[in-house]
Amino acid sequence: MSVRAAARPTPAYRQAVEELKANPGQWQAYNASGHCVVLAGPGSGKTKTLTVKIAKLLIETIREPRGLACITYGAECAREMKGRLDRLGIYGSGSLIIGTVHSFCLKQVVIPYATLGGIKLPPELRVALPSEQEALFARAVALEISADEPPWRWRTQAEEYRRTHLDRLAANWQEDEQLAALVVRYERLLRQEGMIDFDDMVLIGLRLIESHRWVRRALRARFPVIVVDEYQDLGVPLHRIVQSLCFRGGARLFAVGDPDQSIYGFTGARPELLHELANSPLVESVRLPFNYRSGPTIVRASEIALGEERGYESRGAGIGTVDFHERPQGLKDQADYICGELIPSALARIEGLRLGHIAVLYLDKNDGDVIARMAQDHGFATMRVDKGAPYPKTPLMRWLEDCGAWCAGGWRTGNPRLSSMLATWASILKIRPTNKRAQQQKVQLLGFLLSHRIPDLALHGWLVAFQEECLGRVLDADATLRDEREALSNLIEISGADGQIAQWTVAGFGGQGGSPDHLNLNTLHSAKGLEFPVVIIMGMEQGRIPRWDAGDLTKREQRRLFYVGLTRAKAEVHLTYCGWTENRYGKRFSRGPSEFLEEVRNRLNEAR
Amino acid sequence: MRISKVRITNFRNFRELDLDLAGNAVIVGENKIGKTNLLHALRLVLDPTLPDSARQLRNEDFWDGLARPLTRTDKITIAVDLTGFEENENQFALLGEHLVEPEPMTSRLTYVFQPLEILESEPTKESDYEFFMYGGDRPENRLGFDVRRGLPLDLLPALRDAEGDIANWRRSPLRPLLDAVAGRLDRQQLANLAESISEATRMVAENHEVRDLVDGINDRLRDMVGPAHAVETSLGFSPTDPERLLRALRLFIDGGKRDIGAASLGSANVLYLTLKALELDHLVAEGQRHHTFLAIEEPEAHLHPHLQRLVYRDFLRSPASEDADWPVTTFLTTHSPHIVSVAPLNSIVLLRKTEDGQASEGVSTARLELEPPIVWDLERYLDVTRGEMLFAKGVILVEGEAERFLLPSIAKGAGVDFDEFGISVCSVAGTNFAPYLTLLGERGLRLPVAVITDGDPLEDGVRLGEARVLELLPMLLSPADLADRTRTQQIAIAQSRGLFVGEHTCEVDLFRAGAHHEICETLIELAPGNTARARAEAWGANPATLDSVQFLKDITTIGKGRFAQRLSLRIVAGHAPAYMTNAIEYVRTRCR
Repeated sequence: MSVRAAARPTPAYRQAVEELKANPGQWQAYNASGHCVVLAGPGSGKTKTLTVKIAKLLIETIREPRGLACITYGAECAREMKGRLDRLGIYGSGSLIIGTVHSFCLKQVVIPYATLGGIKLPPELRVALPSEQEALFARAVALEISADEPPWRWRTQAEEYRRTHLDRLAANWQEDEQLAALVVRYERLLRQEGMIDFDDMVLIGLRLIESHRWVRRALRARFPVIVVDEYQDLGVPLHRIVQSLCFRGGARLFAVGDPDQSIYGFTGARPELLHELANSPLVESVRLPFNYRSGPTIVRASEIALGEERGYESRGAGIGTVDFHERPQGLKDQADYICGELIPSALARIEGLRLGHIAVLYLDKNDGDVIARMAQDHGFATMRVDKGAPYPKTPLMRWLEDCGAWCAGGWRTGNPRLSSMLATWASILKIRPTNKRAQQQKVQLLGFLLSHRIPDLALHGWLVAFQEECLGRVLDADATLRDEREALSNLIEISGADGQIAQWTVAGFGGQGGSPDHLNLNTLHSAKGLEFPVVIIMGMEQGRIPRWDAGDLTKREQRRLFYVGLTRAKAEVHLTYCGWTENRYGKRFSRGPSEFLEEVRNRLNEAR
Repeated sequence: MRISKVRITNFRNFRELDLDLAGNAVIVGENKIGKTNLLHALRLVLDPTLPDSARQLRNEDFWDGLARPLTRTDKITIAVDLTGFEENENQFALLGEHLVEPEPMTSRLTYVFQPLEILESEPTKESDYEFFMYGGDRPENRLGFDVRRGLPLDLLPALRDAEGDIANWRRSPLRPLLDAVAGRLDRQQLANLAESISEATRMVAENHEVRDLVDGINDRLRDMVGPAHAVETSLGFSPTDPERLLRALRLFIDGGKRDIGAASLGSANVLYLTLKALELDHLVAEGQRHHTFLAIEEPEAHLHPHLQRLVYRDFLRSPASEDADWPVTTFLTTHSPHIVSVAPLNSIVLLRKTEDGQASEGVSTARLELEPPIVWDLERYLDVTRGEMLFAKGVILVEGEAERFLLPSIAKGAGVDFDEFGISVCSVAGTNFAPYLTLLGERGLRLPVAVITDGDPLEDGVRLGEARVLELLPMLLSPADLADRTRTQQIAIAQSRGLFVGEHTCEVDLFRAGAHHEICETLIELAPGNTARARAEAWGANPATLDSVQFLKDITTIGKGRFAQRLSLRIVAGHAPAYMTNAIEYVRTRCR
């Protein structure tokens, strides 16, 4: 009989450990016993290393009731991580917290400690919806700047200012008086409405952690190990939280990231923070040397694009190809070529390739609209992730997709598993099993799912019934689920007559959780962390990437963005361009293809 | 770590209990006042062995004073505050999410039993109710099993069967200890041991008498149920499987001559407690739990007074309150003055009826503010008599033994039977009343208490006793209440607060109040010499001639206590000074 470990080793875990031994970097990270930072390039087996390391910590280091907090960039990454641990047979029960930095700050810091830490928050904490944030921000601009000023001109810079100027008492807080006043006004307006926003969660969390030793002590007791994924994207507040909890507070840090994939500068993220961390004498720093994803040509092309020699060694299958396609008639022409030529020929050429193995990447939502329409005209089912996507991938939407997949036939094969669906449901609603009401809700949920196992049912009818029979009441009851309630009514609306996805069936909706027959449409940003055998990047025009007005910093970040796009591919990259761009007034600028593209093309040619 | 506060509303005897604790607690109070219910309330929050069906309370668990039928707003809550956990990372990890106070760091666990929130009308049946538990001040922060598993409360109930529990493997506190030994033992060594046992067993089994018996059993079994159902039996000393060998070990007493069944009830209980203490240390050391709250009902059961004191001094003096790593907090409910007499001063919890008699309330000594030397004095002194004081409903503090013997008789003369009212007279052996007043007063046990002190006049007529009383008075009143009052007024105020001063000394005042006959008779009876007897006769015949200095000398020669004891048999109703009868009346009218 021994002290209760948070998890037990499973055969799948032991197998995974064996596999790490073949890679010196992964093996070093696995065995690191102090603070450790892993610099992990694209396809380097980052997530696998991280997952096995978390499993190791849960098995060997974490003893209940203490725990491990894993902080990820987005809810999707958290979901992916849970899935991977699940497949290793590692559950970690209550000892394992995986979530975004926002949810970590909100649930583990702000909610338990804000009141005690002297921060006055509205009694029933409401998270402002995006539309509410926008309206309040507009009011703040009108009050602090001018009523004639368009708010969007200020939004991004005010947000960045707020995320990077953290000490309101420090001299540099007044560096830009207008922005400082704007931020303060906006926050005050939020509070008057009894709301906080996502940045508040992190900023208040940081303030509590930095100003109270007892908060740091309580967090260290509960989470002696802090794991951070995608460190480069998490910005200054998280960087300081890590410093405070790990270097001042005594918790142990395991962080993973890649400064080269830092593409969220507009949120305040900086690649230097990870460099700084990796170079700290307190930290054991490990670089993963191999790229298991991309063929050598793609690895070479990506390093040219980045403008840095990283010396990653390709361990991908095949040689990898990078092709360039000029379509002088413009963006639509490119989209037409992609759907009419590139995709069909790839499907014919590569054995076993399906639509879901192909991704079209682009810069923004407008490009997305163009390619989405074109794909529809060519009869391709699509899965789109960008701001123009029919609905945001919130936890509840993801869960609904699972329910759809289950009703559409998943119940026969146990994929997705009903038990994990119920667990997700409970965690979204923060339900405890002893609660009688929760049991009633569960019965209603199961009743609904069992009686709606009809793949061809129109999505709209299914959703309406779902809302009436069980979801509506549950969502109405909890003020913190407002954004999910909003997302659901939006989904119901767009699936109705004349809606954007009026044609969708339950099966099609269920396929949105990742299906082999949907063409992937992503912005370069949203493609991060994904991989596809074939990647097509469209709209590679000078003036857009890099932007015509890009300064040095922006240009470097756009290089990294291109790098991220290229490194999504396993076997083939196709870059399309027309050589000109158009501004919003229809004026045309012929600047030629992107200089990044030209660099890659020229240097690959030289090498040949 | 310790529980610093327990708050109960609407549960059984308790309408509203708000109890401070300092660590270990000794809970006293009359029968049916709710001692067991207090422990049960703690179990609802902390006992992992209590099934959910027991946490689902019933209508009759609501405080009786609540108007029936119960309404939607009626609920039972039990909130337990814990502090002193932050030096122990495991305790901190369990409680860190449930903080209600950062300094001193305090976490709260709350049990609630209430009508279902979804109910659309008033609750009418038991299924309209649910229980849940939450941490901190946030009802949405529901608690799971992990907290009570990590910080469990173990209850040894009043009707425990120590002997049976030790013998029963599943319940025996010996089990985890033996398991731990088995875990440490070398495999080979264990196998060798098993082999020796097998060898011995084989030798016994080969004895033909034994073999005949086994065969007889097996034959009979087969005859009865047929070969398909019969089990093959054998006789042996223990299972020969090495894994199970140690489990077969049993405890013996008297040098191995007798097993535990032959022990006296008392020895079995002591043994049981010893094993329990070892088991708890072991469970914490193994990390299976991080603290234990051990509740023992009627710990005095079957134990000789000396044993009670010896055993529980050990349990109660554990520094649970100061040492974060101390693994056990002990709660005792008892009627034994012997156990109370070894309890640390700050561990006393008194349950009693509320003023309106409708519910029980609790007071404790946990927050008494006394200097350590005073605590030591009180504890040392109270060793002997405190027991009684804490079981009393009212207390009269006096200077010495004389008053302690005389007051009950005086009261009886006035028609007040102290035993009937639960009034105790306690001598402070001197005039230092302050610590006792603190212990019994508003910040302590909140018992009705009167002080009787001698007048002790100086030659100029000033009474020293007045000064004493005036010194005590600020303990009971705010300075504003005394401002601008003359000395005489202040003495009157003191009386209204239970502080009574005599004119001279106890004996002189009695003499002058009309008891001169009884006093002189007692003097004559006990005085060692003729001169003294003659003096007593003279004073008896003519009370006005009393020479108080000589009088007191004569009594001292006899011994104040002895004199008072004898006098108490003679004293006649109506022959007591007013301040004494007033003090008696003061306490009597305030006893509940």
